[in-house]
Amino acid sequence: MEIDNLSLDLTEIEKEYPENPLDFFKDKKLCLFKACLEKYFPEVRWGIQDLLETLDLDVSTCTNQNCCSGTFFQRNLITRAQFSAINERNLNEINQQADILLFSCNGCYNSLMRGRDFLKDNEVREKTQKILNRLKKKSPGEHYQGKYEILLNPKLRLIHDLDFLYLIKNDVLKLLKYDLKGLKVAVHYGCHYLNLERDKRKIEGYISNKTKLDEFVTLFGGVSVDYSEKEACCGWGASQLVIHPNDALKITRNKLKSAESVGADFLVMPCPTCLYTLSKPEFRKQINHLYKENYDIPTIHINELIAILRGCEEKRCMEIRKNDARFNEIYKIITQD
Amino acid sequence: MDKIDTDSDWNYDFYNQLIKDVKENRNIIQCISCGKCVGDCPATKISNFNIRKIIRKVLRGDKSVLSDSDIWYCFLCERCKRVCPKKGINIPLLIINLRNESFKKGFGPKYNDLRKYVEMSERFLTSGVVVEESLEDKLPQERIDELNEICNFARIKYVFKASETATHRSRNNKKKKSNKLI
Repeated sequence: MEIDNLSLDLTEIEKEYPENPLDFFKDKKLCLFKACLEKYFPEVRWGIQDLLETLDLDVSTCTNQNCCSGTFFQRNLITRAQFSAINERNLNEINQQADILLFSCNGCYNSLMRGRDFLKDNEVREKTQKILNRLKKKSPGEHYQGKYEILLNPKLRLIHDLDFLYLIKNDVLKLLKYDLKGLKVAVHYGCHYLNLERDKRKIEGYISNKTKLDEFVTLFGGVSVDYSEKEACCGWGASQLVIHPNDALKITRNKLKSAESVGADFLVMPCPTCLYTLSKPEFRKQINHLYKENYDIPTIHINELIAILRGCEEKRCMEIRKNDARFNEIYKIITQD
Repeated sequence: MDKIDTDSDWNYDFYNQLIKDVKENRNIIQCISCGKCVGDCPATKISNFNIRKIIRKVLRGDKSVLSDSDIWYCFLCERCKRVCPKKGINIPLLIINLRNESFKKGFGPKYNDLRKYVEMSERFLTSGVVVEESLEDKLPQERIDELNEICNFARIKYVFKASETATHRSRNNKKKKSNKLI
């Protein structure tokens, strides 16, 4: 039985659409995976949704999608089969309405890929199917074909927002109203983007540097600064900040300290969980309490940054900007004359 | 410095027990103790967590790893998996496997005493998200029922029960207070 992780083949798109990869997505239905942490940073969602609508792409979210459950699997609160069953139900629902699933969160992206990986193990796959059969038995009424089956060769493909944005970068650049005016930017990829390589046979994939965020900063007119903790974790560490808060905050502090020490004006990242960790005022206060050091470097998600650079005037974007000091600071720097 | 291993130091009973549960963990026997996994590990920076030593303990049949607090420091960041020169060694999965065994023996953090985990479990099983409420649409009840069915007998259910107990306790306290007022 062939189970693949459903990742979208970017090389194939670049080969088929060398002039304009956006054309590949024109006749596709896109769906945005709803990351729980977007609740705290709504513009991470609205930013990309508004961009896709501006590019005349067919974009939606799925009412029937729940949390990826990664946090519970990582803390041994659910088994591999339960985790995979939760994933398959999400994927099956989304497969009903979309061809491409986009992720703004490294954690969700990693969860969905990992859930599919587990299904390669016969025992886990059988247990997962048993759970799905139980759901089917309990589900009253009619339902669509394959609702409670493990997905085999579905049309649905998965892509991280950063990879998607990079693929269509020429079209993104055409929409920009502002630039970064030579600002120094520290990029943070986040562990579950940086370390996500499941096939070591493709050697260039797992040893090559990840550069898409750095390249974006340059294309936006900024300078991507090198800093010692560039590839380090934000400190969240699968809830280490909950289990061992003072220890984990050392990792967060090291990251902020390192970025500030090279004079970075702000930190940009592709994950709302990292954004939560690196920006939460409570964490900054705790760092101050523990180390007697003050870090005030602003932080932003790549989707939010592009919304600012586009001069997005959508009400839902503007409302947030007004209320969020973290966001406001970067907004002012970029948009002031 | 580690002492030199002899044949009598190796005992694969524990290792075999682990791969019975998670087959993929059979690959840890390929470990060449190069230490690359330790180099950039965030957990190593803040604790005694040392994956190279943990793998050696497992291969020696030393079950003390289950009671040590070290395994609970892993960030599951997967950097070790990325830098490991061997194909197929999945350290984060080994850690999850060890934590599971540790739980079975009664070690590990008590999640039902951690307010954050109690809240997250409750939210997940009653609304399908881990935050107070989702950004937009609420998850249909049918899907919430499915989640509860999927999670039957999982630890998350026990953590969730702790939230119900807390709510019950708080209601009782309020009742007692109001009774006193009367």
